[in-house]
Formats: sequence, structure tokens, C-alpha cells
Amino acid sequence: MNYTKQIQDIAAKLFAEGKIDVFVGYRMNGFDENQVPVLITDPQDVSKLVFTDKSVFNLVNYLKTDHTRRKRVGIVVKGCDSRSLNLMLTESQVKRENLYVVGICCEGVVDDAGEKMQNCTDCMVPDAVVSDEMLGTAVSGSGTLTYKKNADIVALAEKPLTERAAYFEEVFENCIRCNACRHSCPLCYCAKCCIDQETATLYNGANTTSAAFHALMTWSLHLAGRCVDCRNCEKACPSHLPLHLLHKQNESVIYENFQEHLAGVIPEDRGAFYKYSLKDPDDFIM
Amino acid sequence: MARVGVFVCFCGANIADYVDVPQVVEEVKRIKEVKFATEYKYMCSDPGQGMIRDAIIQYKLTSIVVAACSPRMHEKTFRKALSDAGMNPYLLEVANIREHSSWVHQKDKKAATNKAMDLCRMAVAKSIANEQLHEISVPVTKRALVIGGGIAGIQAALDIADARIPVVLVEKSPSIGGKMAQLDETFPTLDCAQCILTPKMVDVASHPYIELIPYAEVLELQGFVGNYKVKIKKKASYVNFKTCTGCGACWQKCPVKVPNEYNMGIDKRKAIYTPFPQAVPNKPVIDAENCTMLTKGKCGICKKVCLPGAIDYEMQDEIIEREIGAVVVATGYDMWDPTPYEEYGVGRFKDIITSLEFERMVSANGPTNGVPQRPSDGKVPKNVVFIKCVGSRDEAKGIEYCSKICCMYTTKHTILLHHKVHDSHAYVFYMDIRAAGKGYEEFVKKAQVDTGTTYLRGRVSKIYKKGDKLMVRGEDAQIGQVVEVEADLVVLATAVSAPKDNPELARLLGISYDKYGYLSEAHPKLRPVETAKAGIFLAGCTQAPKDIPETVSQASACAAKVCGLFSGDTMKKDPMVSTINNEYCSGCQNCVKVCPYGAIITDEVPVGHGIKDLRTVAKINEGVCQGCGSCVAICRSMAITLAGFTDPQIINEIVSI
Repeated sequence: MNYTKQIQDIAAKLFAEGKIDVFVGYRMNGFDENQVPVLITDPQDVSKLVFTDKSVFNLVNYLKTDHTRRKRVGIVVKGCDSRSLNLMLTESQVKRENLYVVGICCEGVVDDAGEKMQNCTDCMVPDAVVSDEMLGTAVSGSGTLTYKKNADIVALAEKPLTERAAYFEEVFENCIRCNACRHSCPLCYCAKCCIDQETATLYNGANTTSAAFHALMTWSLHLAGRCVDCRNCEKACPSHLPLHLLHKQNESVIYENFQEHLAGVIPEDRGAFYKYSLKDPDDFIM
Repeated sequence: MARVGVFVCFCGANIADYVDVPQVVEEVKRIKEVKFATEYKYMCSDPGQGMIRDAIIQYKLTSIVVAACSPRMHEKTFRKALSDAGMNPYLLEVANIREHSSWVHQKDKKAATNKAMDLCRMAVAKSIANEQLHEISVPVTKRALVIGGGIAGIQAALDIADARIPVVLVEKSPSIGGKMAQLDETFPTLDCAQCILTPKMVDVASHPYIELIPYAEVLELQGFVGNYKVKIKKKASYVNFKTCTGCGACWQKCPVKVPNEYNMGIDKRKAIYTPFPQAVPNKPVIDAENCTMLTKGKCGICKKVCLPGAIDYEMQDEIIEREIGAVVVATGYDMWDPTPYEEYGVGRFKDIITSLEFERMVSANGPTNGVPQRPSDGKVPKNVVFIKCVGSRDEAKGIEYCSKICCMYTTKHTILLHHKVHDSHAYVFYMDIRAAGKGYEEFVKKAQVDTGTTYLRGRVSKIYKKGDKLMVRGEDAQIGQVVEVEADLVVLATAVSAPKDNPELARLLGISYDKYGYLSEAHPKLRPVETAKAGIFLAGCTQAPKDIPETVSQASACAAKVCGLFSGDTMKKDPMVSTINNEYCSGCQNCVKVCPYGAIITDEVPVGHGIKDLRTVAKINEGVCQGCGSCVAICRSMAITLAGFTDPQIINEIVSI
């Protein structure tokens, strides 16, 4: 998977035609094989753009910065990224007419060790669902693939409750509450996060395991039915917390109970928490 | 610092029998903000309220907790007591230790007491964060909607309209009149139903303040008390009522015959028809299911014979929208279908009929000109057996409740039978004779003597055919023997059941209904005509089985409630509404989607920080907001606050236990 040339051409063309003010893509980080996001504003710089299976980050996150807001933006999105973009559009955070979206038919990206990432092996929607232009050949069955329950949460669910509790206690203890997970998430765009509000005494500023637990649980619930499993948060976490466990658990519960709902696949679909259907299960209500 | 007063009520024995009230008082006194706590037998009574008023002044209290019954019951009472003492009424907090504790934990006094103490602690904690709130004024649309044009709907509409308040009366069928128009005479005075009903029907049609929309259904109700918007579907009648003169040429010539609903299918009507000669409006409609012109495109006779040219086969359903302030629901009842009584041979033997079929037979404008006839051979029956409680009071096959009117109408039927067929003899199988009502017992006694009816106390176990007679086998419990009665005709006093459309209507209006499908009142004793949704009232059998006098009383009560609601130009509204903090709102508009009242719209505000641009935020119409809190729960940014239920209040509650 290498679309470097095509993306450079597209970006150059868009700048030449004056259609965009900024292009959001990837560049080499300059010291190893890995890539970092880049915001190109000077047409001279388009040659810096690359796209390979090392293009791991979800660039939609950069649509909430002041560098891109109220500007015309070109952006590269893979399948998962496009779902988060879909949600950003649905939740009125970006305007579609300001965007030029280069969609990728994604074959999966790899981690530092060169292994295909877990979210890519489980991926149900490899092709971008929002785009002005698609690159690559469509992955067969994109959007209709069978749902694979995440192996980690299956393994964890088999352990007894006490062991699971102990595991999470150990994990949350490592949280330094730097909020990198929140900043790296494209769908965490609130003006002031509820966790930081003065009245939010449950998450008090102190860095205790309990406060971290409440903050992370609240965060994962705010993303339940919205998380697209791009794993930006996990890549950003300096403590290497297995944050996907929280999101994948929510995702599987919602997928199984709420008419096989997958976040961001359908435009204008706000997700299971934000709509009501007569088919919704109610057996958990006493 | 907050100074809280706590007032714990015994509610007679309702609370005190299961909750140790003095212990609760001792417990709350230990909370440091509680400056005064006491108990009383009836806190809602005048002396009880006096204690609250006095304590507010004496102890300089800043918020009040009353531990008593549900706030739905007496929150307003206690708020008024606070106002009377010069305190903001919304500084009150009610701990419901009756419905939430004593009534549900009657077997465990200790646990009930502990729970009552928890509830009080929570209420105290919440009240510490209570803020002064002020009532909101909202304008009122002074127009009422009445759903259903039976006697309940007619009476409610007339009473409201007589107070010079415009009424929109929506009736499902082509004519108003309802079930009462099908009756012959009415108990206990034997007035002719038509004679007392039809003048009222005419009044409805001619009243300047009533807009009658027959052959129509309510599709949608939006808004809130005083400011509802209703969508009504007026079904295509295929007859232009403005040009139709009601001459009747069309239905006389129509070749299609279908069973006549008004006469319970005993005779036939045409595909273009007026339900009965006294119908209001007295204009025919085309039954689209059976008209051959509308189904197959062949015929067109009615159009040919209609001189004013009122027939229009192209007519479409019409959606009518009205702004209204209150709703009276009067959708009446259905007769229960006795098919489950297989041992009676219902459906197999033609000479078993229901009470309403009998009513039509003995009715002067009925299909047999007032003389009962056996459906099998048309002979006049001599021995008639009436079976009561068919469906009523029968958990196995029917419904648990007593239909209330069957004892009386069966008595009336025995009299009518005696009047029409002098040499007849009536037998009544009954469980009890329930004749509670003005003049009812006297009516039953007199009928028994005058008609010589044989009353047999017991249930019928079987009906079988012997020759052209029906043999009714039952028990006479008074002599303890099985009896068999030879009958020419058997009349089943079938139960009153809730209209089958009621659940759907209830969902559409946003009100509740019970397991039978009857619409639920707000309080069985003290608010019997109101529903839990403000501005929606119930009249007649849609709430529970009732006779005509009761139905009329309730309809008039509804009218009084509507007039009361419309007595001012504006309406006071509780200030428990949501507000949006623009600084925190990210404009995702999830609240707009979840608001069931359509109270949230979007607004554009400056971005600030020196950026000349606008951003979208949510905005609440406080007149429309009902304080349900859905938006608060859905808002990830916690930008929405519901007055009276703020985060500090709720967190205080949680932390206190």
C-alpha cells in the first residue's frame, strides 16, 4: 500500500486550483521509518507528503485545531478515519463543503514491529465511507464483513471478576492523567471537557487511581457507540494503557444489542445512545 | 451556611405503622445543617403547615425538607406553605417516605425505617444546594380539542363552548352520537335515548363555538399544556358536505349492500350511507372499502343521481392542523367479543345474541321496528334467557373487572321485552345484582315485580340445541341444583372493554393506560378527570366502564377543568427548565435530537477570542421545556443545567448515602 505519489499530485493540484488552504497528511518523522502527521500550507511542501502502511494516525483529529477550523482543508482518510469524520459531520463539528476528502481503500496499517495492527485485522470497514476521491481498489465486502469480537476482551471476560478488577486497578494506577488520550481523539472536541469542569468533583484534580478510573470510564462512555477503533488514544498514551479494552467492550455490547450498530458508518447516524428504536432491548430495565 | 428544617409526617397510620417516625427525626437532627426537625400526624393539614410556617420564621430556615407522601400529591401544598411564610417555594424538598418506603416495605419495619432515614438524608443534602427559583409565564391558546363524539365528548364540547371557548370536536365515524345513539331507552327512568341525545347532537352542529370534524382521526399531538399543536386526518368522505343537501337519493340508488354497523349487522346498509336517520352531520359518506366505483372503477350511480353534484370520487384524505390549549379524551368503549365462551355456542347458534344486538332489535328505529325476532327464523321469542357477566368478572375467559352497567341494562331489557312481547317470559342468570345508584335499586325491584322475570343466581355451564329451541343449563345456587331452561332467544350481557385503539392513542398523546387499555387518571380519588400529562383530561368510558349519568358528570367536570385552565391569558409554569451554558456547548445538537418536546433549537453566537465568526450552540425555549432532563443526561459537555436538579444537588444526594 503506497499512495505517496497520488497524494502528492492531488495536494499539488488542489493548491494550484486554489481549492484548499491547508492539506492534512503524513510525512516521515525524519529519524526512523515511522511517520507523523503534517499540515501543509505551502504548495512547495507537498513533496513531504507520504502514504504507506506506516500511516497509522487518524488525521481527522487535526480538523479540530485552529489551523484547520474555518479553513478549506484537504485530508487523507482511511476506513476508520472516515467513520470518525462522518461523526464529526453528523455532530456539526466540521462543514462538508470546507473539506476535500481523499479516501483510501485501506489494506491495514502496521505497528512499530511491522506487524499488522489488531484493529486492522478486526476491521469491518476498510474503505473510506466519506470521500471526494478514492485511492486504491475497493476491499471486497467492506462494510459487510462479519463482526469479530476483540480477542483481548474475550480473553479478559473469561477471568473471574476479582482478577479482572485487580487487572484494571493495576492498569489505572499507571494513568498519569495527562489527557493525551482525549487530545488525540477526533471525537473529543468539547469546548471544556466535563472532567475539567469545576462541578465535576468525582474526577477531582488529584491523580488518584479512583479519579483516573472515573475519568477514563466517563471518557469511554462518552465514546460508546461513537468510537471507531482508530487507536489514536493508545498510540498517544505515554503509559501504554490498553485503552482499547474499554472501547471494544462498549462496541461489542452495542453491536450485539442495538441492531448491529457500528459507529459512523451511516451518515447522520448519531449512535445507539442518541436515538430510540422500538427494537431496542429493555430486558435490563427492572 | 444552610439552615434546614425537616418535617416528618405520620400520614395517619400510612407511614407511622411501618416507619419509626421519631427515630427518623432523631437521625436527621444529627446532620449539622439541620437546625430544626419535628414530626406530626398530618403535615399537610392546616396545623401541620402552620408548624412549617412558624419554624421558618423562628429558626431562620433557608430550606425545608418535608418527609411525607409523593411530591405528586402535596408538593404544591407545601410550596404554598413556604410562600405564606415569605420563603421562595422552590427551596422545598420532599422526601417520599410513603410510596417509596412505608407502602412498599410493610413486612420489614426496620428496613423501612432505615430507608426513610436515607431518603431524608438525601433530601437534606439536596436541599442544601437548592436555589431560589421563580415561576415562568407562558401564553395560552384558548381552544380545546375533544376526541370522540359520544355523549361524553358532546357534553364536554357543549359545556366548554357555552363558556365561549372554541372547541374542535373530532369524531372517528361519520356521525357523532356514539354508543348512546344505538340505545333504545335508558335506565332507570326509561327516557328514550334518541329523545335526550339528538337535541344535543344538533346543538353541537349549530354551536358557533364548536368546529365539528367528523370522519377524522388525531394523528399527532405536539407541544405542552396551553400550547399544543394537533394534526387531524380528515378521511376522504367522497361527498362534498358543503354542496350535499342530505336528500338521500344516492344511498337509495346505491346497489352495494354491506352489514349495517349501527344495527350491529342485523340488517344491511349501502356503500354510500348515513349511519342512521338522525345522524349529525346528516350527510352521507362513501365506504371506500366496499364501493365498487372506488375499488373496481365500475358503477358511478350515486354521482349520476346527485343533483347538487356533491359526489367526488377523487377526494383525498386531508390533514388539518389546529393550535389548541387542552385536550379532552372521550373515546368511549368497545363491546367485548364473547367468542371465547364456546360452551354457550357463541357463533354456532344464531339465536344467541349480544346485549347491544338486543338493544337494536327492541329499538323503535331498529331493523325489526322494535319487535325482537329470532335471527334464525324471524319468529317473535317467548322465552328469553339473559346471561349476565359474560366476560366481566371472569378471570379465566374474560376480564377481571365488573362492567358496572350490565345489571342495570339487563333489568331494562327485561322491561323492554315485557313491553314489546306481552306474553313473554324472561329468565336472568346472575352472579350478583349490583344496583348502586340513584333510583337504581328501586328500578330493579319494580322491574322484577312488574315483569315477573325469573332470577336464577348462578353461572350457565352449557347451551345446546333441542329442536329449534336452545336449552340453557346452569346452576341455581339458591336451591343448589342444576336447572335447565328452554329458550327461544339467549341474550348475553357482554362486558364493556376498552377501545382497542386506546394504547395507540395514549402513546400518541403521551399519557398512560392500564393493563386493560383504559386511559389512566392522575389520581383515582382526587384527580379523577386529569391525566398525568397537564392539559389532557378524560371523560367517560375511555377511563373505566361508566353509565350515562356518570359519563355526563365527568364530561362536565372536564369542561370545568378546561375553563379553569383557560381562565387567564398566561399560565404559570414551574421553573424547572433547562438552561445552556454557551461557553461549554460544543454544538453537537444531540440535545436537539433527544428533546421529546421540541424545546431546543440552535442559535449562532460569536466565537470570541478575537475571531470574527459565529458558532452554533443549542438554545432552550423555556416555555416549551418540561424539565424532563433528557438533554442534561445526553450532553457530554455537561453544558446543560436543569433548575432544581443541578449537578451539585444530585451529587450531594449521592454522596449523602
